[in-house]
Amino acid sequence: MNLLIIILLFLALLLSRVTSLKTAVNILLIQSALVALACAFVAAETSEMHTYIAAALTLIIKAGLIPYALFRIVRMLRREREVNPIISPNHSVMAAGIMIVLAYGLIDRALPGIVSRDALAAAVAMMLIGLTMIMTRRQAVLQIVGLITMENGLYLVGLSVTKGLPLIIELGVFLDVLVAVVVLVILTYRLKRSHMSTDTSMLKKLKG
Amino acid sequence: MGHLIVLALVLPLITGVFTMIQSGQKAIRFINLIGSMLLSFTLIIIVHHVVENGTIHVGQFYIDSLSAVVLLVVATLTCTATLFSLSYMEQEILEGKVSFKMLKRYFALFNLFEFTMICVPMVENMGMLWVAVEATTLSSALLVAFYFNRAALEAAWKYVMVCTVGICLALLGTILLYYAQVNADLSGGGQALSWLAIQAVSDKLDPGMIKLAFVFVLIGYGTKAGLAPMHTWLPDAHSQAPSPVSGLLSGALLSCALYGIIRMVIIVKGAVGPAFPEHFLIGFGLLSLSIAVPFILVQHDLKRLLAYSSIEHMGLITLGLGLGTPLAVYGALLHIINHAITKSSLFYLAGAIIQHYGTKNIMRIKGLVGAMPVVGAMFVAAVLAIAGLPPFSIFYSKLTIIWAAFQSGNSWLGAIILLLMAAIFAGMIYYTLKIGFGPIPSKVIGNYRLGKPAMAAVSVSMVLMIVGGIYLPPWFDTLITQAVAIIIGGGL
Repeated sequence: MNLLIIILLFLALLLSRVTSLKTAVNILLIQSALVALACAFVAAETSEMHTYIAAALTLIIKAGLIPYALFRIVRMLRREREVNPIISPNHSVMAAGIMIVLAYGLIDRALPGIVSRDALAAAVAMMLIGLTMIMTRRQAVLQIVGLITMENGLYLVGLSVTKGLPLIIELGVFLDVLVAVVVLVILTYRLKRSHMSTDTSMLKKLKG
Repeated sequence: MGHLIVLALVLPLITGVFTMIQSGQKAIRFINLIGSMLLSFTLIIIVHHVVENGTIHVGQFYIDSLSAVVLLVVATLTCTATLFSLSYMEQEILEGKVSFKMLKRYFALFNLFEFTMICVPMVENMGMLWVAVEATTLSSALLVAFYFNRAALEAAWKYVMVCTVGICLALLGTILLYYAQVNADLSGGGQALSWLAIQAVSDKLDPGMIKLAFVFVLIGYGTKAGLAPMHTWLPDAHSQAPSPVSGLLSGALLSCALYGIIRMVIIVKGAVGPAFPEHFLIGFGLLSLSIAVPFILVQHDLKRLLAYSSIEHMGLITLGLGLGTPLAVYGALLHIINHAITKSSLFYLAGAIIQHYGTKNIMRIKGLVGAMPVVGAMFVAAVLAIAGLPPFSIFYSKLTIIWAAFQSGNSWLGAIILLLMAAIFAGMIYYTLKIGFGPIPSKVIGNYRLGKPAMAAVSVSMVLMIVGGIYLPPWFDTLITQAVAIIIGGGL
């Protein structure tokens, strides 16, 4: 479990500096697979059927369908990449490092003595890194990747504090995440068609 | 009662599927007309049942008076929005802005959107509530992007991104709430995240954890309800969506999001007392009211003007909920209904105006009352209503909230609200006079004929606005009083 957390944090750090869309989706795929693995660990620990189902669903939806949809759109955007990000890659890795420290500090203050301290801190760090990705990246696909990273972090939070939500709610959350990605991919496709680019910094017509 | 709930949920889905397989415009219109009428009728029966026989609790569904208030809003608005869509889309097709394929997609998505909004007040736990609220964002996102032009895409992108991030925070809050519930309810007997189960153990919940959960949930659903400073998506989405959808977004969707906040407030009140959530609500409410003022005073886009007015009204409702006295909460709930009816009709009328003038720019719309006598007169009346003039219903609910502010000893708060509302009033009236009178631009020619269904939709809204300001039927009063008791007492 500790190894898993270290890899997840490392991937999040890596994700905060990529500029190529395809690499970002690849990293996201591995990240989601690891989250599914973590879920499977928890399932083995509690030996509850519904956690196994949740793990399988995570694998199918987050490591299967969502990367598939993203790969399809990325293939169309062959020449798109993050140019002039708002924060340079080096700085954003540093920011991500600070996020991790911040997450540990936050967890130690809010929930002192919780059993799954490391997992929880990693989860919160992933959420924060995902959020900064959404705010500082201009490429639509990278923003989607940030959103899924945030969602993965959120899922880990749920996993580490309450062993996951009840199955019916979990199912709803999976469905929503999947539909959200589909909607965003459709919008990205349309952005490409009407703006010739998926750089979201061009979206500043609506004001006031 | 179970089958009626299932019927209400299935009707929009069936209507949507039938729309997809039709090949004629007339058939699509007919199906949607019948579908929405049946749907509204079913919802009204459910609301009536709640008023007469009390709470309905079947399986995963739970409808009490508070849910019934929101259901009433959704029932009214789905009916008027569908009616208006029929004429609006007919005109769009005539002008060649919308193809037959797009029409199909529009009505299919429209029904899906209705379905998700009906789910919100019907489910019985915070987890499913979250799922339903997120589903409303996703089903409406492609409606916002409906025209797929540059501005619409920008609005939709911002809408999905801002609301999904916001709602992720609400999910974090929901998870924390679940954590608190699991720790308090050691027997594990209670249904996960069900508000009944949480209220049963409310004295054992960890106060610190509940406060943290509340802040996240408030920010999350507050984003969806358009509370400042998370309101940035709202003017864009409302101004770019097709006008009937703008009406639904502003009237029904914002009410659904507020419903989520109210449910959380009830739980928090039971666990840590009323003072903590109320400070937050008053803060957000006041901020939303003040942020709307400069944008209403200096505005160039007709639909954005209305959207900022929605932010103002959401702020006012949140303030009313934050004051927490029975009178204030009564006013807030009444205001949810009144605002929904008035604002939706304003968006419909704005849609007709924009179709006729071919622009959203306020500076280029002139002589409305001359060019479109019926629509113009109704538009001016509806603006007077939304600004809070008697005899319209909004006057009454605004008065109740402000009165409650003074009565509960928050005189300074009441004074600030009055001041801000005076500024907003000035802005709205200024622009309405500009639009309403003056010479008719030479580009605008011919008579605009509002289709019969659209006329029906707007007339129904106008009648409800005027009647609501003069007379409240006893059953309606009972419904709201019961809902107030649920919020205030935390009781059931």
